Amino acid sequence: MNLTFSLAHLMGGIILVLGFSLLSQRRLAAMITIYQLQAFVLSAAAFWQGFAQHEVNLYLTGLITLGIKAVLLPIGLRQIVLRFNMIRAVETAMPVVLSMILGVGLIGVAVLVVLPSTLSAVSLTREDLAIALSVVLLGLLVMTTRRNALAQIIGFLSTENGLVLAAIGMPGMPFVAEFSVALLVLLAFLVVGVFLFRIREHFDTLDLSGLEEIERRGR
Amino acid sequence: MILFTIFLPLLAAPLLGLFGTPRQGAQANAVLAGLVFALTLAVFAAPGAGLVHADDLGLIFGAITGFTGLTTAITNIYYVREAEPRLSLRRWRVYHAMCQVVLGATLLGLYADNIGLLWAAVEGATIAATLAVSMPRTPSALEAAWKYFILGGVGIGLALFGTMLVYLAAQPALGPGFAAMSFRALTAHAAGMDGSLLTLAFVFILFGYGTKAALAPLQGWLPDAYAEGPAPLTTALSGPLMNVALLAILRFRHLLQANFAAGGAALPPGPFLLTLGLASLFLAAFSFSRRRDARRFFGFSSIEHSGVAAFAFGIGGAAAVFGGLLHMLLHTLIKSALLQVLIRAAALRGSTAPGHYGFSHLRGLIYSNKYTAWVLGAAMFALSGLPPSGLFASEFIIISQTIQRSPWASLPLGLGLLLCAVAILRNLGPLVFGPAPVRTKPGRATPETHLVTLHLVLAVVLAFAMPPLLVQLLSHMAEALQ
Repeated sequence: MNLTFSLAHLMGGIILVLGFSLLSQRRLAAMITIYQLQAFVLSAAAFWQGFAQHEVNLYLTGLITLGIKAVLLPIGLRQIVLRFNMIRAVETAMPVVLSMILGVGLIGVAVLVVLPSTLSAVSLTREDLAIALSVVLLGLLVMTTRRNALAQIIGFLSTENGLVLAAIGMPGMPFVAEFSVALLVLLAFLVVGVFLFRIREHFDTLDLSGLEEIERRGR
Repeated sequence: MILFTIFLPLLAAPLLGLFGTPRQGAQANAVLAGLVFALTLAVFAAPGAGLVHADDLGLIFGAITGFTGLTTAITNIYYVREAEPRLSLRRWRVYHAMCQVVLGATLLGLYADNIGLLWAAVEGATIAATLAVSMPRTPSALEAAWKYFILGGVGIGLALFGTMLVYLAAQPALGPGFAAMSFRALTAHAAGMDGSLLTLAFVFILFGYGTKAALAPLQGWLPDAYAEGPAPLTTALSGPLMNVALLAILRFRHLLQANFAAGGAALPPGPFLLTLGLASLFLAAFSFSRRRDARRFFGFSSIEHSGVAAFAFGIGGAAAVFGGLLHMLLHTLIKSALLQVLIRAAALRGSTAPGHYGFSHLRGLIYSNKYTAWVLGAAMFALSGLPPSGLFASEFIIISQTIQRSPWASLPLGLGLLLCAVAILRNLGPLVFGPAPVRTKPGRATPETHLVTLHLVLAVVLAFAMPPLLVQLLSHMAEALQ
């Protein structure tokens, strides 16, 4: 039992650290690599939870995570970076240091909110949940601090990793594999590029500051 | 039977996406919507079992969804006739497929007795609706779709986190497995759930599904999506989709309330909902004044009414919940009627493309066609909530309950409703009777306008005749979920 705890926490911790380091990266290629690492660790965590809880469903989740999120999606993302020649650093809406301070604050909030309110739950779930919520909030922070569509998508992907991390930690929760598939559909829509390619067509860059146009035109 | 109702549109969608001309697609869409409407009525006899098991609320709102789906599909036939050259064949096919997916996912969301399935339904509907919004492929439509996708995606993520927390909160009472995800089981064992965890879950649920219900401060996507997407789908079907989210909030709210009432550690849900409800109401009230695009304007009116329903749920008690449910029902009917007649009005002025719904462009409709203009005027008046509009009845119930239960809240509620009504009425006169733009030619009304009239009549009948069956079902559910 002790090994279950410490390994699960270790992997959760790595996912959290990777989620945090997304905040400091300004290059898309590096962000993609970090995301890929995060997805690898997540799939390992899913396998480990499947082993610990004796759940076939979780193995399935791990396989899906490994195959699609750790391998296919990053390949697609790199293709987009290459095709649109977005090697340069992307613009951030606020200084990186400030966003990292905010990130620390969010992790604090997540821990303060989750730990006291889950006193009755199993302690493995409690701490996993705090970590997962931190990853979710950090992903949202990445989304708000980047102006670039692709960087926002990576933030969203990281958020989604946090959600899956929470789901695999729930004791005996049904539908975990289905949830991760449903989320993947959402991600696939984002990444396969329905929007990316069209946004490219119309805005000529992936910079979303053009979104304000809608505000200016009288509504 | 109930599974068939849900899967008929979902399975037909790929076919619509692959075959047929736009007109054939529109006709097939209407036939399917007709079948689905008939099936939603048949579900009353066989409400299903297990994961998909409609309660009374699901039955009523399912039937309303089927009805608006049918009238929208018929309006859509006329819309496609006019708009056919604007999109390529492939896009029309995708558009009709997405109409069906949204319809099927909405019904799944209403009928599901499982919090995970409910979440999946909302997710599927969001993806389909976003795709549809992006269809016109104008820069502003893409911007609107992107905004919808990002905000909707965040909302869906938060809702999933909340769903998992509810499951975790139910562990002490129900243990692992499917039971801890079933609304019925959760409602029955609400008292035994972990209250503080449930409160945390409710916050996530409220913000997650609140995004779909367009409650302030998460309403940003809605006016853009209304204004930029293809007229029939984004407007008329997003009413029922909003109901799914509001009903989800209502059901989770009940868990919290029941736990609180039984002495659990949960916080009472009222203040959360009252705050968001009033914020939405006032946001809409102050946003009305400077809108130039009619669809955007009525998008804000949807935010207003969503806020009123959330407010009613926040007040709590059987009567207020009844008022809120009635309000949602009538608003769905009236809003969908209004948006349908708006398409007709734009067609009379030459084009139904996004961007042709400006008030200055549509004003003086009476000079184009008398019948359409009167129906549009009636629908707008109905939306303002003054008698003899059906919404008067539901708003009156909500206000009187507010005065009874928390009198201080009736002041901002009344003020907000008044401001909204004034804003709508201020636009009513010029839009219908004002001076028409130069070179306006009279046009002919089309038969689908009668359907709009039917919507409005139905709203009045439901509100003032109060058919016993409806009242019985609604008040039964309101008591169970108070």
